[in-house]
Amino acid sequence: MTTASLTTQSEGFNLKEWIFTTDHKRIGVMYLIGSMAAFVVAGLMAILIRLEQSSLGAQIISDGTDYNVMLYFHGAAMILAFLIPGLTGFAANYFLPLMIGAKDVAFPRINALSLWLFWFAIVLALLTFVIPDKPDIMWTGYPPYSITTQGNTAFYVFTVHLLGFSSILGAVNFLVTVIFMRAPGMGWNQLNIFVWTTVAAFIIQLVFIPVLAAAVTLLLFDKYLGTHFFDPTAGGDVLLYQNLFWFYSHPAVYVIFLPAVGILFEIIATMSKNAVFNYKAAVYGGICGIVLITGEVWVHHLYVAGMPDWLRIGQMVTTLLISVPVGLLVLSLWGTLYRGAITYNVAMYYAVACLYLILVGGLTGIPLAMTSMTLHLSETSFVHAHFHFIMGMLATFTVFAGVYYWFPKMTGRLADNMIAKISLALNFIGVNVTFWPLFIIGVEGMPRRYWNYEMFPQFEPYHHVATIGAFITAVGITLMILNWIYCAFKGEIADDNPWKSKSMEWTHAPNVPGPGNFPEDVVVDSSWTPYNYDKR
Amino acid sequence: MKRMSSVVAGITSLVAPLAANAQDGVIQDPAEGWDNLWYEMLVDITVIGVVFMIAAIYMLIRYRTKDPDAVGRGPKLTKAQAIAWVLIPASIFMADDFFLSAKGWSLWNIQRGVPDNALEIKVTGYQWYWEFEYENGVILEELIVPIGQPVVLRMTGEDVIHSFGLPEYRIKEDVMPGRVTYLWFYPKEAKETVVTCTEFCGVAHSEMYTRVAAIDPMEYEALMAKEVAEM
Amino acid sequence: MFARVRRTVLLGLLMLSGMLLGVMPVVAEYNRTPESDINPEIFVIDEPAVLGTKIDRSVALVDENGKDFLLGDMLGQPLIIVLSYYTCDGSCSVINSDLANLLKDVDLLRMGEDFKVLTLSFDKEDTIETLVEFRNHLEFDGLTNDNWVFANFKNEEDIKTLTERFGYSYFWSPMDRIFFHPGTFLVFTPKGRLARVLYSLNASSDDVELAVLEAREGKFDFKPKDLINYAISLCYSYNYKEGQYTYNIPMFVAIGALTVGISLFSGSALVFRRRRQKEEAV
Repeated sequence: MTTASLTTQSEGFNLKEWIFTTDHKRIGVMYLIGSMAAFVVAGLMAILIRLEQSSLGAQIISDGTDYNVMLYFHGAAMILAFLIPGLTGFAANYFLPLMIGAKDVAFPRINALSLWLFWFAIVLALLTFVIPDKPDIMWTGYPPYSITTQGNTAFYVFTVHLLGFSSILGAVNFLVTVIFMRAPGMGWNQLNIFVWTTVAAFIIQLVFIPVLAAAVTLLLFDKYLGTHFFDPTAGGDVLLYQNLFWFYSHPAVYVIFLPAVGILFEIIATMSKNAVFNYKAAVYGGICGIVLITGEVWVHHLYVAGMPDWLRIGQMVTTLLISVPVGLLVLSLWGTLYRGAITYNVAMYYAVACLYLILVGGLTGIPLAMTSMTLHLSETSFVHAHFHFIMGMLATFTVFAGVYYWFPKMTGRLADNMIAKISLALNFIGVNVTFWPLFIIGVEGMPRRYWNYEMFPQFEPYHHVATIGAFITAVGITLMILNWIYCAFKGEIADDNPWKSKSMEWTHAPNVPGPGNFPEDVVVDSSWTPYNYDKR
Repeated sequence: MKRMSSVVAGITSLVAPLAANAQDGVIQDPAEGWDNLWYEMLVDITVIGVVFMIAAIYMLIRYRTKDPDAVGRGPKLTKAQAIAWVLIPASIFMADDFFLSAKGWSLWNIQRGVPDNALEIKVTGYQWYWEFEYENGVILEELIVPIGQPVVLRMTGEDVIHSFGLPEYRIKEDVMPGRVTYLWFYPKEAKETVVTCTEFCGVAHSEMYTRVAAIDPMEYEALMAKEVAEM
Repeated sequence: MFARVRRTVLLGLLMLSGMLLGVMPVVAEYNRTPESDINPEIFVIDEPAVLGTKIDRSVALVDENGKDFLLGDMLGQPLIIVLSYYTCDGSCSVINSDLANLLKDVDLLRMGEDFKVLTLSFDKEDTIETLVEFRNHLEFDGLTNDNWVFANFKNEEDIKTLTERFGYSYFWSPMDRIFFHPGTFLVFTPKGRLARVLYSLNASSDDVELAVLEAREGKFDFKPKDLINYAISLCYSYNYKEGQYTYNIPMFVAIGALTVGISLFSGSALVFRRRRQKEEAV
């Protein structure tokens, strides 16, 4: 690449330096900006979707396709362009090398390539709004519909390719980094939980993404080259795409969930000045357990899809067993609070909100793990509300919490003010007001992806309420983002370790670390841990 | 895999007596079974949720401090304690999992075990309407069934994947080209309800619904006679 | 559509007429338009339309010993039904011996244990005598009576209901003094629902095996054999146009894709280690 990436970073803002950077921290910030851009546009879609559903009949759309395109963009962008890059792009890039005492990642230029691919994907995704025949295949893209539709399936496929390739490169890079570039003396049991969760997420990405990439590529061939891979009339298997898709996309939930929980652990351990409760159980039972089990549970997305009966029952058992590793993680989270010395700030308030969200989201997953329950609940707004509690709220709130928590590290300033707290309150109230009504009407049978629910006029009041909630959240999010931008430039100057954390990114690196991250080489001894608060 | 199979085999033997539907001539209604299990589920997850929530709230209040230099005094676990803190909760979670699996499986056997005397209706899903073909050749675009007799739907699709969702009867199953799927339900009382398409199928996905009427057998016979005469 | 099936039916009919006319060899007739003006399309069962149709378990049948039994007695495991008539000395024996030959190559499943076969006459004139004669004429190797049952309908009226239900059309040609009929193997699930329609002389032994595996739907004992069978069935999917099972290519692509990320990672780890060793050496 250019020499700019190799020279030291100058004091003033230099756009060229940012664009051609190979510095993991700048790449992390660029990931954050890109994923927040995707979040804002996809969030706007969510508002439009809620506006359309607020009352019976067409409100803002001229036909169903408009609505379907909004759903497509909201789903695909939120998961593929916001949550995954926000957690494994932004948070992992910026903080993982700092946490393990590395000067950068193993392959900085490949890291930059990942970022570029991600930005291309964002641009491609945004082009959705200007092309004719916009893609309308949901983020799942099931054939035969995705093959027979007028919509432009190729856009979907290429976006998945770019993001998938970006993620695979990222996964390779970070796994090599963690294996080979830990500070001398740092053993596997001394890593931050966030590092462990990120490693787990990248292992999942590495193994499963190529399967999704293969599946969508064959979809492309079917639609544009006239092959019959998924065409049941000509020897294709109509169910295979769904299996391949969820073979990746259920593990993708853990690609999001694990780093999200990792951030929660960092914040809760730091703010309660406590060691992670039963660290080894969380790491080897919780995180590794999820990685092991994640490839055997995808059929719970296909409980009503016509899979063989024995497979549906077998995977009901494996799906329910996910509660064991998740339960161990939850116990460790809760245990970390026990006899802590808890100080509160906006990052901690977000973390507390997440404790509630993880309970609601996790526990409503239990009926959905059960095949017989899902025969009714499948594809209702109950499912919709359940995974929004996990993805749309828990994971999203951890990204926000992470930004608040590491704001001093990234900008040298604090963002913890009254506006931050007001926006948190609005966000929290808004999402609950939006999604609790959807739980209720979901059990009554409100189908997902319906703009028109004239067959269920009794659900209209619930949709009214849900839409009000969406607007409350929108105000909260807007305030929050404006506050971030303001505080990044004008916020109160922070100490190097404002939370008095023991984690390496706070103790060894200055705020806004320069190239090379650490003023001096980091070496740790065997008694060091990132959670070593109570030296008895 | 081996462990899983033995676990599965164990559960099979657990629920085997419940497996066959209508064994003693009594037809078990899957919708009723669903409602009952749902109720038990709600109790189960509410109890877990409330216990954890109370624990969290208690600790968040009890251990708060204003002193920024205070440190937490969390317990340092011995090896035995650490292992116990894995095994005991894991076995509790697993016990609940297997309990729920067994419960879910016995309901599943009812949901999938079609009674022998079921009325068979062929369903075809099109973009974007349903077609119902009765055994006497009558074709309707709404589902009309007599009360008091189980109904089994043998379903296939003509174009893309749809899903036949009957919220009132707590059941649904996908409908797709090239494969035949089935579901059954038990209309016990006269009522009008609706079937909706619950798998995204295109521009008019949310308009792909139709009336489902469970009517008196006499009325049903009369209607069928009229339809046959018109054929 | 159904090009391959149509060709097969055509072939069957040609063989039939060829044998009747004593014109040999049959192969020479392969590409000629048949003399009769019968549209072979009518002998093609509209498979998607009849799949899943339930067979009437209460139909009474008579076996070669004159013993009555119900069709339902044959169920409980997958069942292949071959509809034939016993005075036929053309295609029916071809169809039945074709199936027998195909079954010889089915290694993973055993007739009697994993599935049953029933040859059933749709000719009301057939008797036990014609049945025995037909069966003896075929002289199958090692096919015992228990495993492959030959039977007649007990009640004439059942013939029409049963064949119509599965879209199986046949008719008597007084001129040729033969029945024209499709040469099909109807594969049923253990519960008696039609799972697959295969055509004689078009299906391979793999097709029969896969159709039986598919018909077992849900029956799964977590034995190694079942797992292997299931894994095999995943590699194929049914092609309605050709009436055969074809490789399920996306499955292989996906399995191949699983190795991509892992090998990329191993390669990168090696590169990094070597690079670092070099740096340390300097």
